[in-house]
Amino acid sequence: MSIMQHNGGSVIAMVGKDCVAIASDLRLGVQSLSISSNFEKIFPVTERLYVGFPGLATDVTTLREVFRYRVNMYTIKEERAIEPTIFTQLVSSTLYERRFGPYFIEPVIAGLQKTPSGSYEPFIAATDLIGCINFAKDFVVAGTASEKLFGVAEGLWEPGLEPEDLFETISQTLMNAVDRDAFSGWGAIVHVITKDKVITRKLKGRMD
Amino acid sequence: MAATSAYNSPGFDFSNTYRNQFLADRGVPLPKATSTGTTIVGCLFKDGIVLGADTRATEGPIVADKNCEKIHFISDNIRCCGAGTAADTEFTTALISSNIEMHALTTGRKPRVVTAMTMLKQMLFRYQGNIGAALVLGGVDITGPQLFTIHPHGSTDKLPYVTMGSGSLAAMAIFESQWKPDMEREEALHLVTLAISAGIFNDLGSGSNVDACVITASGTEMLRNFVKPNERVEKERRYVFRRGTTAIKEEKVRRWVVDEEEVTPVGGEEMDTS
Amino acid sequence: MQTVDMQQLKAGEVNLGTSIMAVQFKDGVVIGADSRTTTGSYIANRVTDKLTHVHDRIYCCRSGSAADTQAVADIVHYHLQILTQQSGSAPTVATAANVFQKLCYQNKDGLMAGIIVAGWDKEIGPSVYNIPLGGGLFRQPWAIGGSGSTYVYGYCDATFKDGWGKEETINFVKNTLALAMSRDGSSGGVIRMCVITEEGVERLFVPGNELPKFWEGEEVLGKPTKIIPESPAAPMEVEA
Repeated sequence: MSIMQHNGGSVIAMVGKDCVAIASDLRLGVQSLSISSNFEKIFPVTERLYVGFPGLATDVTTLREVFRYRVNMYTIKEERAIEPTIFTQLVSSTLYERRFGPYFIEPVIAGLQKTPSGSYEPFIAATDLIGCINFAKDFVVAGTASEKLFGVAEGLWEPGLEPEDLFETISQTLMNAVDRDAFSGWGAIVHVITKDKVITRKLKGRMD
Repeated sequence: MAATSAYNSPGFDFSNTYRNQFLADRGVPLPKATSTGTTIVGCLFKDGIVLGADTRATEGPIVADKNCEKIHFISDNIRCCGAGTAADTEFTTALISSNIEMHALTTGRKPRVVTAMTMLKQMLFRYQGNIGAALVLGGVDITGPQLFTIHPHGSTDKLPYVTMGSGSLAAMAIFESQWKPDMEREEALHLVTLAISAGIFNDLGSGSNVDACVITASGTEMLRNFVKPNERVEKERRYVFRRGTTAIKEEKVRRWVVDEEEVTPVGGEEMDTS
Repeated sequence: MQTVDMQQLKAGEVNLGTSIMAVQFKDGVVIGADSRTTTGSYIANRVTDKLTHVHDRIYCCRSGSAADTQAVADIVHYHLQILTQQSGSAPTVATAANVFQKLCYQNKDGLMAGIIVAGWDKEIGPSVYNIPLGGGLFRQPWAIGGSGSTYVYGYCDATFKDGWGKEETINFVKNTLALAMSRDGSSGGVIRMCVITEEGVERLFVPGNELPKFWEGEEVLGKPTKIIPESPAAPMEVEA
């Protein structure tokens, strides 16, 4: 079994109308043994930017700290909050630096990007474990249930979803995909990011 | 956690290789990086170069990105198509693009295609094929139109028409049967479209749209999604869930704008600027 | 001699499964090569130029890994330019061959390069040097190399004679390469040749359909007859 399946876990992000959503399961396991049902893989970077790290749990923790450090350094140096596009490049180059000894993480990034006019536009991206960026206009998925997530999201997603509708779509996509994945599940968490608030909801899901 | 020093040394970081090798020795297969099964081509015509690429990115049998960009910027007059390990093509072309810009600034001359080609081949040769970038490099410089292929181990070829990636055989079949010297711009662009289409439809690793790029002495024209033969038809039915479908255990809302009050100053004092 | 497991060392590598050759004659040298570059069973380039310029009157024929031989030739080219600037005169073929040998020997574990260096210089006139895989250096009146060469050693031994002129030497190279290309699957395409003399470098080209022909089995199989199909080939019918 691949090292990417060792701890299990999946993350998905979707674009809606003036909002984005990012969601993950909450399982931490060691191969088929489940350890925790409260292992969060999605972390806030700024007020309107979140990042998810599905993959090897030790690297989830390590990378969270690496990026906390690097984002703080950026914020101090530049005296402004990091924008999603720039953060994506930071993630990409940090991972590619370890091209020949990678972290086993496939990050998913979701946030609202400030436009020159001062408004916010949705932004999502994902990278592979060595930092190849995938800019998507609809949704991105990663983790052990990625194949199922691709299939369900391809069917359920549609453009222009309002925050509350986006919540339902991403929740149902995640829940139905991870129910068919042995290594993901044990509850889920969803963050819906809008211009003036972030709604975080824990979902009721199967615990088997 | 590894100490994160304020100084970041340039180049690759190999500090995880021991751990990863240990895992590999324990019989855990290390995951493969995403590789782009690709069709990329280049074609010489009367007064320039046409480059072409498909837009599918794959992770094994999964289509990871349906509309990615494989024609990379090197300089105003030089572009580079990439096949192979997606991250490698992205970063090598970005690095060489940066070095070419520096070179142009120090020499005060417009960059040449051979310069970019030499930089790329020397870098890829140094890494002995471990950087899996297969490239088609094209452009127009003071010496005229130039077209090269660069293999991952660092060997180069100079030809009037080239193809690379998993769809290269399908695309080469088109060129070998239809290419002729001194074509017009439109003719060459059409031929490149045919070659990429051959890859899109006959190679499973390639798909979606045709990207093209025409480079002549007078300028570069990037034709992103030049042909879109695989547009998704609109959904006949919507699958929006009724609000409240998903059962929630807890909810937390973080509002950024806590309170807003608009103050209109009426005849305020002017700032003292003396 | 230990042979490093090169094939496994660099899987998927671009190879010059090659037929190359160099012969010296009274006034200069004739060098020649086929034009096939392969990746596995795919011909990556069918019109390759394996005769690589390293100085005004010194060329090399490359066989083995395309990447390795190009890199080595580029480095030698660089060294010879430096040497020319420092000494103020053109380097000898022996000098060039020694630079090649040094690189090939010192990096023998990492390289797969079989190179023939040939050219003309003021000191000793025409000369041919062979640098096979391990990084040895041998001066020879004629040298052949690459995968195709194994098929034509006997032909060369039986045919070569001292004191040939330019035309005879060109024909010898052309015939040898044509025979090698016909037997070796990883050689083929066209023949490229260079005649290097004091006067300059003359490039010669033999297209694939004008290669010298030898015994092709007519005596046994009879003359090929033209077969006229009853109905000319029509394109496959495809639904609109």
